[in-house]
Amino acid sequence: MLEVRDVVKVFKTGDNTIKPVNGISFTVEQGTFAAILGKSGSGKSTLLSLLGALDKATSGDVVVDGVNISALPDAKLTAYRRDDIGFVFQAYNLIPNLSAKDNVMLPMEFAGLSRAERSSRAAELLVQVGLEEDMHDRKANKLSGGMAQRVSIARALANNPKLILADEPTGNLDDETGELIIDLLRSLSHEKNTTILVVTHDHALAAKTDRKFRLARGRLTEEPVRAAHLH
Amino acid sequence: MSVIARSVGNALRNKVRTSAVVVILAVAIGLALSMLVANQAVAAKVTSLKASVGNNLTVNPAGARGGIGGGEPLTGGDVAKASAVPHVTSVTGSLTARLSNAAAATDAAAAGTTGAAGGPGGRMGASGTTSLTSAVDPGTLGNRQNSSSGTTTGGTGNAARPSFTIPVSATGISGSLTAAGEAINVTSGSDLNDFSDASTQALVGTTLAEKNSLQVGSTFTVQDRTMTVAGIFDAGTAFDNNAIYVSLAAAQTLLDQAGEISTMTVTVDSIENVDATKTAVAAALGTTRVDVTSGGQNLESAVSSLGTVQNISLIGFIAALITAGLIVLLIMIMVVRERRREIGVLKAIGASNRTIGVQFVLEAMVLVVMGSVVGAVVAAVSSNSIVSALVAGNTTTSTTTGGRFRGTGTGAPQAIGEAAAGGVPGGGNFGGGAFAGANQLIGTISTSVGWQTLVLGVVGILVIAAVGALVPALLTAKVRPIEVLRGE
Ligand SMILES: Nc1ncnc2c1ncn2[C@@H]1O[C@H](COP(=O)(O)OP(=O)(O)OP(=O)(O)O)[C@@H](O)[C@H]1O
Ligand SMILES: [Mg+2]
Repeated sequence: MLEVRDVVKVFKTGDNTIKPVNGISFTVEQGTFAAILGKSGSGKSTLLSLLGALDKATSGDVVVDGVNISALPDAKLTAYRRDDIGFVFQAYNLIPNLSAKDNVMLPMEFAGLSRAERSSRAAELLVQVGLEEDMHDRKANKLSGGMAQRVSIARALANNPKLILADEPTGNLDDETGELIIDLLRSLSHEKNTTILVVTHDHALAAKTDRKFRLARGRLTEEPVRAAHLH
Repeated sequence: MSVIARSVGNALRNKVRTSAVVVILAVAIGLALSMLVANQAVAAKVTSLKASVGNNLTVNPAGARGGIGGGEPLTGGDVAKASAVPHVTSVTGSLTARLSNAAAATDAAAAGTTGAAGGPGGRMGASGTTSLTSAVDPGTLGNRQNSSSGTTTGGTGNAARPSFTIPVSATGISGSLTAAGEAINVTSGSDLNDFSDASTQALVGTTLAEKNSLQVGSTFTVQDRTMTVAGIFDAGTAFDNNAIYVSLAAAQTLLDQAGEISTMTVTVDSIENVDATKTAVAAALGTTRVDVTSGGQNLESAVSSLGTVQNISLIGFIAALITAGLIVLLIMIMVVRERRREIGVLKAIGASNRTIGVQFVLEAMVLVVMGSVVGAVVAAVSSNSIVSALVAGNTTTSTTTGGRFRGTGTGAPQAIGEAAAGGVPGGGNFGGGAFAGANQLIGTISTSVGWQTLVLGVVGILVIAAVGALVPALLTAKVRPIEVLRGE
């Protein structure tokens, strides 16, 4: 379960102070597939970075499964990112000179898994996200956008995280591929009971989620999910 | 995929840049290794020069060398005085005489001439007789010297001179060293061990032994005493082999020169003190009474010019190492900047600062190892010419003879022999250009690389490279994982 309590993030640039996140509170149950919508510059990425411990909140608490990560020292934050969080980025952010499989193995290497375990688990995950065996050894920079994003989803799943944070995962993909990726994330969240938060501009994709939030002027409001995906 | 494999992969990521960096590193590392090789080669040379010449001073009566010249002989009292000088570890005396063939001397006397014996300069004079026949024929040089000696004696113009023989040099010693302080190279038999005045032991030079068909155990006479050959020595030259060694006491008795010494060898505790001790010994014995020479005169200039080379090469080694370190530093800073975002990604997916730092240091090491391999080849090709250039550029102080380098490994010992000729028994200045100069003394410096040198060089390079890579690696710790979201 993810619990966010009165989180504030202040940026100071010169004598300007921006509060893209200004007192946000919400709770999502484990295994929820949720979307965060908002205009460009509304603070969606900032909120995600606070949830994923990429950055520290100015104030407030982020509690993941009862652990308040706002209070963790830096060394524990590394372990938190490694073991409890998976990231999926708009630009995939794979290591370009490593193969698809090596990219997926990387978080497991940091977690100290043996080589054999890493290898078999990476292959399994790649198949789960829809990458055929013959693609596993292809260099990351030789993969198509859709394939690269699948690999990055497999990488996010590598250490069985509780929470996957995806920042506009379909932003660089055509509609059709984007839809496949959203479907994949949705099924994974339910199959693996992983909470997945997706930041997106795309209302059609947001309509496929369990819950939908809108970020505006530093505040988060929940919007009712249309019954569209129920049929 | 392991960290090492990943680091190798990263190092080779930008092939053009990697090649350029490897070439630049290879030049710096090659230079560093060459300088190290030069340094080691010169250091080895200095050690061997010092060891070969030793810390000896030679004391002769003022105006006399071996059998020529004049002045008053040294005595046992002088040995005691020299021993008392600070830094002197030992003093040995020797007495050199020229022995003429007993039969030839009788002939000459019978012919009614004084021959060369007892001429004012004592030039070819003999102070005793022996049954031995000289191994050296007079030849043109001997006849010329003999006749010119005769002329200054106020001789008889063009009158034909009787045939004569070159005297045999006899040296009385009290240990197993020559008058020059060098070990006698006994090739058969044994060293002298009876140094009493009744001793009948003698060492005979190879050519002399051959000429007189002597073997260990054979006998011959010196004055009226029958001597037994204890050993046969090889001094390396025809001149020095036309000689015998007997005990000092026996020589003094036989030649009727009780207590007299013709040459003293003073051993100084260290090469650094040779100069000061030389002055002190001369002062103790009276500067007008004795001439003190050090075989190390050339050695000093050789050692000091080699010392310069050693310093230059050491500075060069360090400078080239630092350059290599700076290259690594700058390249890795560039690489870290370029991969900020990737570092952010690694942190976002759970890499610790240490993991990332290690990966970057390893990546730098891969570059350095490649640079070292190429650099070692550069060094192998260039180190010999670098040493030659360094040595040639710094040893132009005293050149008395032609070639700067002998081009053979035996250059140094030969030159030392010449430089020390002043003290060789009876050697006088016959030995040719007595002081052949520091350059000849230096001889050839070989630049064969010992594995210790290589290990030292490689360790030095790796340490410097690690230091150079450490700064950029630490910079990666400053990259915040949030970087990964920048510009999205
Ligand atoms: N490190 C920073 N320093 C100062 N201001 C920042 C920093 N990071 C973000 N901001 C500002 O905070 C605001 C929110 O940025 P954020 O990237 O979270 O928006 P976003 O909703 O993700 O926008 P987009 O949809 O374009 O990705 C922006 O006005 C941005 O300029
Ligand atoms: Mg954003």
